[in-house]
Amino acid sequence: MKKLSTTYFLLFTLIIGNDLNAQGNQIQIGSLAPEIALPTPKGDKVMLSSMRGNLVLVDFWATWCAPCVEEQPELKRLYSKYNHANDAGKNLEILGVSLDNKKEAWEKTIKKFNIKWTQVSDLKFWTSPVAKTYDIQALPYNLLVDEKGYIVALNLHGKELESFIDKYLQPK
Amino acid sequence: MLILFSITTQAQTTKEPWTDSQLMPTKELADQINTAGKSQPLIINIGPQAVIKGSADVGPGKEKTNIKALEKMLAKQDKNKEVVIYCGCCPFEKCPNIRPAFNQLKELGFTHAKLLNIPQNIKVDWIDKGYPVND
Repeated sequence: MKKLSTTYFLLFTLIIGNDLNAQGNQIQIGSLAPEIALPTPKGDKVMLSSMRGNLVLVDFWATWCAPCVEEQPELKRLYSKYNHANDAGKNLEILGVSLDNKKEAWEKTIKKFNIKWTQVSDLKFWTSPVAKTYDIQALPYNLLVDEKGYIVALNLHGKELESFIDKYLQPK
Repeated sequence: MLILFSITTQAQTTKEPWTDSQLMPTKELADQINTAGKSQPLIINIGPQAVIKGSADVGPGKEKTNIKALEKMLAKQDKNKEVVIYCGCCPFEKCPNIRPAFNQLKELGFTHAKLLNIPQNIKVDWIDKGYPVND
C-alpha cells in the first residue's frame, strides 16, 4: 500500500513538474502559442487557434495604458497595409487582447480608433489568467504567431515590427 | 556647466509629491493584511481595479470625479490614520493616477499618507508574489 502511494506521489510530482516546466518554456520563439479563448465586446468567444493560416499579431493592451493606446493608430496602419491576401497567400491578422476591466472604456476606445480587427477581453485587469499564461510583465506587449500557431517574434514595436511583418509576408 | 545646471533644474522640477519614507514596501502591507488582530491601514485603490484584499475602490486618480470621491471617503477619517493608496497599472513614471491622488492626501492633511511601492505593476509586484487579493 505504501509502495503504491509512493508511486502515485512520484507520478503526480512528475506530471505537475512537467506542467510547470511546460508553462515556463511556453512563451518563447519557436513554441506553440498557448490558446486564447476570450469574448469579444458582443460576447462571442474567439479562439487564437481559429486564426491559423495567417500571421497573427497578438496585441496585449488596455485603455488605461497610455503607450498602448498611442500605438493603436500605428497598428491600424499596419493592418490596412498587410491585411489582404498577398501572392503567397499569407495575411496579417491582429488579435487585440485587452486587460481592461471596464467594458465601457474598452468599447469607447475601439470605437474612437475605429478598430476593425478582433478584440477580446475577460475584463479582469491584471488578474486575467491570460496575463499569467503569457507571463506578461508590462504593457504594451505583443507577439507574432505564424500560420501554424508557433511564436515567431516577441514584443516588437515601431519600425522593428513593420520590418518583421514586411519581410515575413514577402512572397518566397 | 550650463548643461549640468539645466539637468539639475529639470530634476528639481520633476520632484515626486511623496518622500522615500512615504513609499510602503509591498511585503510590509501584505504582512499587515495577513496578521489578524494587527491594526489595519485604510487601503484605497486609485487605479483601474481594487486588487488588494480589503481595499476600498475609488477608481483612477487621473479623473477629477474620483479625486472628489477620495475626498468624500476620507471626510470623516482621523487625519492620523494610516492611509495607503495604490494603483499598479504601470510603472510609476508612466502612471497617470498616483500623483493627483497622493497630492490630494497631502492637501487633506493626512500625516500618515503612504503610496504602495509598486515599481512595475500590480501583477508582477503583488499578484505574482502570492500576496492577498480580493475574490
